[in-house]
Amino acid sequence: MNDTLIQDSLKVVEKVVAKTTENNDSSNLWMWVSIGEFAIIFGFVLANRFKRKPNAKQKFKDESLVQEVDFNNIINSSFHSNELYDILKVKCHPDRFPTDPKLNEIAEKLFQEITKSKTNVKRLQELKMEAEQKLNINF
Amino acid sequence: MLSNSWNNILDWFRDRSERSKLVRSFNESARNSFVSGIAPTLLKGKISKGESEYKHQFSNWLYTGYRIQAFTGRQLSKEELMHIGKVILNDEILVRKLVVLGWDTLEIHGDEGTYGCRWQLKDYIPLPKFNQE
Repeated sequence: MNDTLIQDSLKVVEKVVAKTTENNDSSNLWMWVSIGEFAIIFGFVLANRFKRKPNAKQKFKDESLVQEVDFNNIINSSFHSNELYDILKVKCHPDRFPTDPKLNEIAEKLFQEITKSKTNVKRLQELKMEAEQKLNINF
Repeated sequence: MLSNSWNNILDWFRDRSERSKLVRSFNESARNSFVSGIAPTLLKGKISKGESEYKHQFSNWLYTGYRIQAFTGRQLSKEELMHIGKVILNDEILVRKLVVLGWDTLEIHGDEGTYGCRWQLKDYIPLPKFNQE
């Protein structure tokens, strides 16, 4: 009789222990979730607090970094801008249009632009098209 | 002070990433142009020691040179070196980016010999004077 009583009470104890550990696990989980949430909120608050007000130097830097560089054009210009410039400067020279003042003026403007963009193949090609259309030059 | 240090650390990492992105983009374009036959010579950009006399307000402490090496297999003439340099320096956006990312020297070299040209980048862009904050 005593043995069965002891066994029953042991079972009850085991059940209680099992239940309480289960509860502990879930409460542990929620504790970690709340710590995580707190860390995230704290991180946001710190980031906001430490956010630097952009000064003139920083603004200059940010503006410069936003712009995109056309590397293909730079590489292409390193090897092909000279020959295109040499062709354009001869063909579009204002002295080739001495009789027509309108054409002479267009050639003058184009020639200035060509000289300005002598190391930029992309721009020189645009100017070449412009010269073909406006000055009727065949390249 | 803590805020300043934190922001400086962030800036340092951002600058490093931007610097390597720029070098990588340049090398990728140069390689593609060479492979497709647009460029007769392979160019390669890398970070070099630079010239300490060319420092400006955005300069890094170390490694302030941007070196472009042309793999021609021969010594490049001065005109060829000057032309490549001028193409780079006439691109205002690129020069501006190089300056704000801490470079102060542009170097153009051939792959043979130690002969090359170098330029002071701050001569090619009007840098405003900022108050030290």
